[in-house]
Amino acid sequence: MLKNYFKIAIAVLKRRKFFTFISLFGISFTLTILMVATAFLDKVISAGYPDNKRDRSLYVATMEFNNTKQGWINRSDVSFYFLDHYVATLKTPEKLAISSSAQATNAYINNKKIVINFKFTNAAYWEVLEYNFLEGKPYSAQEIATASQVAVISEDTKKAYFGDIPSALGKYILVDNVNYRVIGVVDNVNRTMYNIYGDVYLPYTVSKADYKKVELMGGYNGILLAKNKADMPKIQAEFDQMMTKVPIPDKEFDKLYSNADPFFESMTRRIFGDGSNSGKSKALAILGTVVCLFVLLPTLNLVNINITRIMERSSEIGVRKAFGASSKTLVYQFIVENLILTLLGGFIGIVLSVLIIYAINDSQLIPNLNLTFNLKVLGYSLLACLFFGLISGVYPAWRMSRLNVVTALKAQ
Amino acid sequence: MFKHLFKLLWNKKKQNFLFLSEILVSFLVIFTVCSFLVFYYQNYSRPMGFEYKQVWPISYSNVPQFKTADSAIAYFENLRQGIKAMPNVEAVSFASSNYPFSNSTMSTGIHYKGKKYDRVNHYEVDQEYNKVMTISLLEGRWFNANDAISKDKPILINETLKTAMFGDRPATGQLIGDYDDKEKMKVIGVMKDIKANGDYWPAGNAMFVPTDTATSRWQNNILVKVKPGSDAAFEGKLNKFLANYMKNSTIEISHLDQMRDSKNSETVIPMIIFIIVASFLVINVALGLFGVLWYNINKRKGEIGLRRAIGASGKSVAYQLVGESLILATMALIVGCFFAVQFPLLHVFNLPANVYIMAMLLSISFIYLLVFICSLYPGKQAATIHPAIALHED
Repeated sequence: MLKNYFKIAIAVLKRRKFFTFISLFGISFTLTILMVATAFLDKVISAGYPDNKRDRSLYVATMEFNNTKQGWINRSDVSFYFLDHYVATLKTPEKLAISSSAQATNAYINNKKIVINFKFTNAAYWEVLEYNFLEGKPYSAQEIATASQVAVISEDTKKAYFGDIPSALGKYILVDNVNYRVIGVVDNVNRTMYNIYGDVYLPYTVSKADYKKVELMGGYNGILLAKNKADMPKIQAEFDQMMTKVPIPDKEFDKLYSNADPFFESMTRRIFGDGSNSGKSKALAILGTVVCLFVLLPTLNLVNINITRIMERSSEIGVRKAFGASSKTLVYQFIVENLILTLLGGFIGIVLSVLIIYAINDSQLIPNLNLTFNLKVLGYSLLACLFFGLISGVYPAWRMSRLNVVTALKAQ
Repeated sequence: MFKHLFKLLWNKKKQNFLFLSEILVSFLVIFTVCSFLVFYYQNYSRPMGFEYKQVWPISYSNVPQFKTADSAIAYFENLRQGIKAMPNVEAVSFASSNYPFSNSTMSTGIHYKGKKYDRVNHYEVDQEYNKVMTISLLEGRWFNANDAISKDKPILINETLKTAMFGDRPATGQLIGDYDDKEKMKVIGVMKDIKANGDYWPAGNAMFVPTDTATSRWQNNILVKVKPGSDAAFEGKLNKFLANYMKNSTIEISHLDQMRDSKNSETVIPMIIFIIVASFLVINVALGLFGVLWYNINKRKGEIGLRRAIGASGKSVAYQLVGESLILATMALIVGCFFAVQFPLLHVFNLPANVYIMAMLLSISFIYLLVFICSLYPGKQAATIHPAIALHED
């Protein structure tokens, strides 16, 4: 049966090439744009180098003071003191990675300027995040305790600062007017990973700022690593329990918020949410609306064309109905035909998006961001194809099934 | 004529409904794109208001703690003199962190005659800021050393704020209330608008106040105007001087022209993506409309043949078909305009109303043009239908 439908669908597609072209053009471009967007979102949201353990990591990024009466809000990154004094006391997590937000400074080498984003980390940072060491090794807790002036640098920084040398280990890099000895070189990290991106990593104990200062807001963020996935809700509960014990430092405010969020929530909270609301549902709603609006026009177009094409086939439908085909069979047949068309368009779309993704990677629009067309993206794309095919096929099929046999046959 | 065409369309309302909704949705898409484009173009065509080339903003963190205000003043005054003494430096000014093209904003509200003006950008600058940024005044004067001892805090306002508050009357010498309307500030001059958010965004309301020497320890930025041709070697020297002077600080020197580029690309890149997506949608719709119209005409061969047979010219048949599509487009546009008018009425996105009106006119003409082009060829084809052949088929 399906084989028959397939044959009919191909025959119909061949009949009016112009219409087929319009349909395929619409479908393939719509899906291309959806696929490239999915590939980008996938890159930003799902785990990737070096943050490979996102499924069992919780991110502590923001501290919010709230005056509920006046509606004042004060929001900032958390301080080292908060992470070290409160968050580190949690029992359930396996490890706590602490790092400062990247700060920019300049270096001048051979009359060329290099912008260096440097950040301070603790020793567990290197265990929670799986940086790929091209040379050397990370600094240990021992080196942090003695405030050794050592640095781990990215490959780009090595190239920019030292030029093409086989090894940068043991050389000195001048960051922020202090000479640090290079003890490790790691693969580059792309900039969309705002919480871990950096060019040079230094032990937090060499920070010029007073990291021990007793305050809740500062320039740090933390990653809590759970032993396994099941521990995540426990850690969140323990974190919230701990938050109730943190004293509010300022009389002007009456509420204090900080959260240990899974990655996606930590992102949506930053953009759409606040201390008490993760903004996840808002983000999903906005995303859904945008996609629906975007798909609306090509769908309308396809429905329009589909209806035109069905009316063209009214005699065929009339004959089939006259010989006893039920409306259900006809609807089923037409939807299958439409799905075949969409899948064909989807295939062209996949080819196009692979080309576009290649072009984006090649142009280095965002440095070190390499979009990939992986199985997950392919899965989403196929899902999008099916969805698109269904919604653009149902209405025309319904219209077709309601055709009166007599009028349909009379058309000839 | 119109009544007749309308009747023809009404008879096929089911089929035309989809056609109509397609035009409606494409109108809304084009209207959105046009609104952005008109808004950006209007801002782009206004002058920048200052000279950003050869201006290097320097940010420094972690300033030493001073016991008294005097020692803070001495420390920063020494720093200023030190930078000024360097060979390539033309002017130096301390500034708050929201200097142009930085990603930082500080805004406040002010009062004048009982009315509150919100979202006024609050810039802290010093006496040489106008030399660093090459700012021209419309009236009044720039800050000078005597301002420190005047009774009311002296401020400068920009053209936009001046027009909003005073209209055509001169603003110099007027007293303005601060956020709580408790303390008075005296306007000593009006400056041209400076587009601090890049080429594509309006300057907005802005007021400039002199840096308070007591708060200078909170300032983290210096703007330096350098001579043309200053290279990285000089920048390295400047960096070294600063790093030696402020041992515990992290120094970053940026270039205002590069910051302008990246600020602009924040606007331009999403817009380009948006335009690409929208133009693909439009091509898609155009092809769809063309296909459907073409098909409809093929189906109406009998009707057209009859008209030809009773004496209608080929031209009038083509007119009829094009006219039909244009009437359909008009109906969709009426509904579309109803939605579009809500934007200026409800102040969605806070853009000025003339932007929406311009965008509406542009998108209406665009849709008409699109529908006209799409129906032209099918109409022409209909005109060539020979009555004998068309009627023979039935």
